[in-house]
Amino acid sequence: MPEERDQDRIPDTPLFDRKRSLRGYRINKMAMGLSDPANREAFRLNEEAYLDRFGLTPEEKTAVMSRNWREMVRLGGNLFFILKISAVDPVELTEIGAHQAGMDHDAFLRERLGKK
Amino acid sequence: MANLVGGLGTSHVPSIGLALDKGLRDAPDWKPFFDGYVPGQGWVREHKPDVAVVIFNDHGNSFFLDKVPTFAVGCAEEYRPIDEGWGPRAIPPFKGAVDFSWHFIDLLVENRFDPMICQEIEVDHGIQVPMELFWGRPAEWPVKVVPIFVNVIQYPVPLPSRCYEMGRVLRQSIDSYETDERFVILGTGGLSHQLQGARAGFVNPEADQAFLNDIAADPDKLAAMSREQYVEMFGSEGAELMMWLVMRGAMDREVVVRHKHYFVPASMTGAGMIVMENKASALSEMAA
Repeated sequence: MPEERDQDRIPDTPLFDRKRSLRGYRINKMAMGLSDPANREAFRLNEEAYLDRFGLTPEEKTAVMSRNWREMVRLGGNLFFILKISAVDPVELTEIGAHQAGMDHDAFLRERLGKK
Repeated sequence: MANLVGGLGTSHVPSIGLALDKGLRDAPDWKPFFDGYVPGQGWVREHKPDVAVVIFNDHGNSFFLDKVPTFAVGCAEEYRPIDEGWGPRAIPPFKGAVDFSWHFIDLLVENRFDPMICQEIEVDHGIQVPMELFWGRPAEWPVKVVPIFVNVIQYPVPLPSRCYEMGRVLRQSIDSYETDERFVILGTGGLSHQLQGARAGFVNPEADQAFLNDIAADPDKLAAMSREQYVEMFGSEGAELMMWLVMRGAMDREVVVRHKHYFVPASMTGAGMIVMENKASALSEMAA
């Protein structure tokens, strides 16, 4: 969604402002729920049913269930909340970063983070 | 009268705690990072502070978006590690400096800062990691803590200058506190990193190094910068560096840098540490 991205004053840098917070409230509340072990178990057993409890739209559900981090952020997900998904379905933070940057993980480590 | 013995700055990256949990302290990716903190730990052992005031942000753990305090101050007897999704970490709970917290809150309000007051709250890696970096993994923490939570996630976040001004009230609170306890202040967060958007993975080692110089030599410059400048220079999450200004605002204009360390990347972050003392007290220590 380039037209949305362009509204950010600093390019490619989504600040968690009013608009994003309102839009992402459901996704973030769902992810916040994963702080509770019982909810983590519910997410593991039937992810879609867990997402439905928080009233996620089909678009939001698809983003979460396909682990599309870029799309979750576009829909107002804030990384500090959606990261809790990785407590249930492990993925490295740098892989989430690479996905959003649209880069291969090794290239991301090398080119962005200066790893040898 | 209570005594401010030093101001410390450090990153609070969660994977630092995770690396310690997994026994990776001496792994090639981590050893140079942790080795840089050894002098800071030595300084803490030598100066034996009684109270640590720790400025940090919650990361969607103690607070959700339903209630977002711009500033919150803990005045609890005890702060337990919170479950961030992986279960609470096996580190001892922090004991609170309850009486000082209330004294500080009184002075904040009298000086037109109006914080949220927290008598029961669990705490996340924002305070855990800095404590582990300077005090290691003791069976019990040898200091009491005063947590100051700053909202740096939900915009509008506070101005950097406001953090700096809050530090002055913190200093006034320490100076007017009628015990002979020794205080340290930990400004935490940063340095450059960005976790969201197509610019994810942004780090800025030059700006980080300059920040580590300026926080000691020219804090007024850092306090005068806008939030957007912080985001641009340090990344969307690195902008949290403004929290170091609470610590710096509590110190004298003239400080002595005892130790400094920089390492990149710790996970996705430019990580740094500084140990400062007020020049006046450093000189009187030398004379004694």
